[in-house]
Amino acid sequence: MSDPDTNPAAGIRSRGGWSWFLNPYLQLALNGVLVATGQLLMKVAADATADIPAPRWLEVFGVTALGSWWIWAGIAFHIGGFVNWLYVLRVMPVSIAFSLASIAQVLVPLGAWFFLHEAIGPLRWGGIAMIIGGIWLIADRFTRAEEAL
Amino acid sequence: MKLQLLILILVSQVALVAGQIFLKHGMNKTNEVRKPRAAIAGNLAAGIVLLTVWFFLWLGLFQKLALSYVYPFEGLSPLLLVIGACLILKERLTVRAWMGVVLIAAGTVLVGMS
Repeated sequence: MSDPDTNPAAGIRSRGGWSWFLNPYLQLALNGVLVATGQLLMKVAADATADIPAPRWLEVFGVTALGSWWIWAGIAFHIGGFVNWLYVLRVMPVSIAFSLASIAQVLVPLGAWFFLHEAIGPLRWGGIAMIIGGIWLIADRFTRAEEAL
Repeated sequence: MKLQLLILILVSQVALVAGQIFLKHGMNKTNEVRKPRAAIAGNLAAGIVLLTVWFFLWLGLFQKLALSYVYPFEGLSPLLLVIGACLILKERLTVRAWMGVVLIAAGTVLVGMS
């Protein structure tokens, strides 16, 4: 847990105006959306380029995907996610931030279920429940420490 | 699954976690009163290099394997990261938060498997 006295989130939040936008939880949620979108675009690019042969020494890296426009969109989303991730890291312990970012593992199947009507099996529902439970265990503890400032 | 691919998955997860730890180490320094610019830039650069390695390894795995093979291993990264952050960055978690991390890791494996 970060030391409350040195937690800059408190100072940033009290500045008024646009300060609500700098709320670390809002930024973390924004990061989840950016990274999940970036990952989807990565998968589209990887599928589109899977049959293009790469030089032997480069085989383990998916560099041939750079020939697809999808990957450049994916890279743009990852760079956007990187910038606000740095901000999140500035104000939050990385173990908390990274664990909370696992919400993306829940949002992607739930989004596919809600918007694309993809079925979710019992195993996956169980996993979704466990992730939400884990996030609740972590976030609840951390937000209480923050409220005590 | 071939052993070679399994090793690649593990290497990519280690690159991701190590990259995150460098980034956090660099961002911690931005909160110091005297901001050591060279140290901040060095740590962020190391983090970016490692995350780039992760990005292209992961992309290569996406090309070779179905998502249901790759995704369960994402469950490893929260566990590895929290262990790394505790050992290297001296972050401390409560027992309750540790339970949360284990639940998230196990849940991620289940979501990825199906």
